Amino acid sequence: MNQLPKTAPGMYRLIIIHYLISGICFALLAALLLLLSGDFPQHYFAPGTLAITHLAALGWGTLIIFGACYQLLPVLLECELFSIRLPWIILALFLPGLFCLVLSFWTFDPGLHMQVGGLLLSTSVILFCILVYKTASRSHIHSAYKDFILTSCVWLLATVILGTLLVFNFQYGFLPKDHLHFLRLHAHMGIAGWFLMLIIGVSAKLIPMFLVSRDQPAHLLSWSYYLINVSLILFMVDAYLNGLSGHTQLILLPMLAGLGCYFVYVSRCFRSRLKKKLDIPILKTALSIFFLSLALLLLPAIIHYAGVSSAWSVKLSSLYGMLIFMGWITALIMGQTFKTLPFIVWVKKYEHLSGKAKIPMPADLYQPRLLQLQYIAYLAFCFTFFAGFLLSYSTLMIIGAVCIVVAACAYLGNVIILITHKTTIKP
Amino acid sequence: MKEFNITNQSSFRELQIIESLRTVLDPELQISVIDMGLVYNISAEPESEEIRIEMTLSSSHCPMGEAILQSVKNRIETDFPGTDVHVQLVWEPQWTYENITEEGLKQLRR
Repeated sequence: MNQLPKTAPGMYRLIIIHYLISGICFALLAALLLLLSGDFPQHYFAPGTLAITHLAALGWGTLIIFGACYQLLPVLLECELFSIRLPWIILALFLPGLFCLVLSFWTFDPGLHMQVGGLLLSTSVILFCILVYKTASRSHIHSAYKDFILTSCVWLLATVILGTLLVFNFQYGFLPKDHLHFLRLHAHMGIAGWFLMLIIGVSAKLIPMFLVSRDQPAHLLSWSYYLINVSLILFMVDAYLNGLSGHTQLILLPMLAGLGCYFVYVSRCFRSRLKKKLDIPILKTALSIFFLSLALLLLPAIIHYAGVSSAWSVKLSSLYGMLIFMGWITALIMGQTFKTLPFIVWVKKYEHLSGKAKIPMPADLYQPRLLQLQYIAYLAFCFTFFAGFLLSYSTLMIIGAVCIVVAACAYLGNVIILITHKTTIKP
Repeated sequence: MKEFNITNQSSFRELQIIESLRTVLDPELQISVIDMGLVYNISAEPESEEIRIEMTLSSSHCPMGEAILQSVKNRIETDFPGTDVHVQLVWEPQWTYENITEEGLKQLRR
């Protein structure tokens, strides 16, 4: 009938297990945030904060990106995934690594468990990068998406290797400068190198696809790619040699310009869209971009306060981290999950029935009320938790943490409803 | 849009097929494959039991591609029992947003 590549057997199970586990990690993350919210650490280099940040970055953000990549890489690169077995090995290494790392951060035991966790995660990431590069080598297209995705993997690898070195440095102290110095580099390789590069690459394809946008100015993506990477490389070198200084403000400029190009790209996609009605998942995507912008606005202030050794530097750095992980990345994942997962489930359950009987559409496979609850609870979390942290008002933070627990439960509940969906329609 | 030609015997049948395909929706946009402009050619000779549909997709490696093609085949087999349905996927000419019909655009703007 056609020349389309067939979805590999086992792919469905592989993808939904990633969505499910990352949903569980999100619920766990929300619970830990609630546990900490009464007495939230003021410094980001504290056991609880390190555990939560790594659970957010790895269990919530990275794991779901891995799962989504197995589905989206063939779409973005227009070729088949290199292997279907390798992702299972990656997952089998990633999960115990994550567990060891987060638990040993929480109890702050920088010994064997933390080191094994770091090594397992590094191995898992190395295999993921091999998978992406091998898949890309099958692709004959040249696009900005491809550049963003491949480069994001290089940054992910660098982030994880430096992270593992930091884990060993707790015990053996072999790094030439202090731990916080390298922590800054590790965090920014992860945030700007891995998450930002990958999210720009994938969203640049998906946003216009979902909105049916006529205008997709690809040259803006190329500018964005070069400006962000140049800025990030300069930051790594300068921050390693000099720490945060006046130079950092200058180095930040190409980063902001690169992000500006991406924002203009997204805005043009929105303005030229043929699909006028915006659904909740797309609104969440727009909200995530708002949080990213807020986080970026904090950067000049953080650098300034670090230069004058003000305590605000640490406080704003923590807020920056929260806006990145609990704002930008969380809003994006919560939104995009209900743009991608319903289709994956629908194809599995209804493809053979489509056209033969009256069947539900992908958007009918989850509970819209739970999605609304998730959206409202998440918005309430953002207002109360971030404001509570800024004002050092723990009651507001507790209310915020309760809201994120509600949002996480609603999210996980809807994911479970989706993946356990059973069709009763007979052909 | 396919025009009805009263002198052409197959014209009526092709229009019936188009109407049938109006019930096959793109799962994301929820507009029909006809209004999406995905169907390029239909050939259905009245004496023949064969129906040939030439169509494209909005992007190659689209995860919903297989489902859309299957839907088209299933729909025609259901509405025209006993026929031999061939759905041929083509990539030329490449699909663009200009292919969406006025009716499709109207539905997207709702």
